[in-house]
Order: sequence, then C-alpha cells, then structure tokens
Amino acid sequence: MIEFLCTVQEGCIPENMREELEVVIEKTSMEILGHANGPFSITWAEIPRDFGFRGGNPTTTSHVRGQIPDGCDKETRERLMKEIGERWYDITGQTEDELIVAARDEGWEGNTITSN
Amino acid sequence: MPLYRCLVPKDSLNYAQRQEIAEAFTDVHCGISAAPRSFVHVWFIEADGEEKVKDSHGTGFLDYKTEFYIAGGNRAGRPSEVRQEILGGLIEKFCEISGADSQNVSGHISEGPASWTMEAGHILPEPGEEPAEWYEHATIPG
Repeated sequence: MIEFLCTVQEGCIPENMREELEVVIEKTSMEILGHANGPFSITWAEIPRDFGFRGGNPTTTSHVRGQIPDGCDKETRERLMKEIGERWYDITGQTEDELIVAARDEGWEGNTITSN
Repeated sequence: MPLYRCLVPKDSLNYAQRQEIAEAFTDVHCGISAAPRSFVHVWFIEADGEEKVKDSHGTGFLDYKTEFYIAGGNRAGRPSEVRQEILGGLIEKFCEISGADSQNVSGHISEGPASWTMEAGHILPEPGEEPAEWYEHATIPG
C-alpha cells in the first residue's frame, strides 16, 4: 500500500490543481515502485494562512509525505522523491525551496521519545 | 525537517503568539542541532480534542491527552538525551509564550532516516554529515 498526505498552505495550491497532482503522484509512484505495491491513496490537508511557519516566518512551503512498502532501496526511494518533486514544480510553479517530499517505510515505528 | 506541529484549542493563540513560538522553536532546534534556520517548520493545528488529527504521513492518528500537544519529526541519529533536550526546550518555550500550564502541554519527537526526505531539491544529509554548502540554505524564503 502506498499512501501520501499532501499538506499545503492556504492560498498556495488552488483546489483545481489538486486532481492533476494526485494523478501524477500516483502514476509516478506506481511506475517507480511497481503496480504490485498498490493500492495507492492520497489525502490533502491545508494549513490556514498565518498558521504555518518556516524559520520563524510565515511559509508557502508544501509537504508531500508518504509511506511506501518496506524494503525500497536507496536509489529507488531517491528517484521517487525527485520525480514527484519535478512533477510538482511543473504543475504548481512552486520552486525547489517550497517543497518537501518524504517517503518512509510503512513499517517504520519512529524511534519516538515522549515528554511524559 | 524538522517539522513541529502544535495541536492547540481553537482561538487559544493569536498570530503574535504563534509567530513568537515558531521563532522560539527555531532558536531551540538550531541552538542544539546544525540545521539551517529555514529548515525548521512549525505548524499550528486547531483541534477540539475530539477531532482526530492524522500523523505527518497520513497514516494513523495522533493520540494525545493534554490540551496542547507538540508533535515533532526530526532526522534520525541524535542521542536520546539530545532529543529530550530539544523536546524539553520546546515545551518550556511554548508554556512561556502561550501562558499554558505545563501540566496541559505534552509532546513527542519521532525520527526518520535523513535519506527518506528531500528538501530544497536535495536528499537530506545525516546529522553530523552536513556539507558546508548545506548552510547556504539559511536564507531560503518560503
């Protein structure tokens, strides 16, 4: 299973652009990871204006974060993130500096620490 | 990375407080790690406590029991005492700026391998292996 969450800042990625982005992210993922690793799903979240910051200042940066099947080699994972990035820049007009792409293993538990 | 998501009750923080917290979190993180300031992301998500908030990758939901919650995601590779120092610093600053009681604020920091994230068109370096040119990102806008 391949799942992505695209989190964008309010006013930066118009609603009418999102379907095209979903199509290319799915196509890119399936081509690179293989159709056997499906199904694919994608959801969206929007951070309200003035609720997202980067370096302490309001941000326009989008985040495309997903989880992919365990066992993906380094080169394939990098190619996946870079190609998703290229498609995103083409469609949205955002620059490299305005996009984070992450693809973690679905079995990753996060090595989490908690405050209490 | 890092990404710090602050789950807060609706209308509990005004813009000035959010901006001050975001700047303080950047100070805390960059005071302990080698990350350029522009790599520190802070979001505020208003939640009423009953609403489910997805984790940063869209799978599963955050489980929290305090009124305010800080969910952090960092590059893997730092000793746990360093991560505890970062989390403690974030909570301290959050309470100081928001006025929230420390009993009402909790949080966590999860890690992922640096090579699982691409930022500014580049795969992130592991902590301690940052090349000199990485710091050129310190002034990236957006």
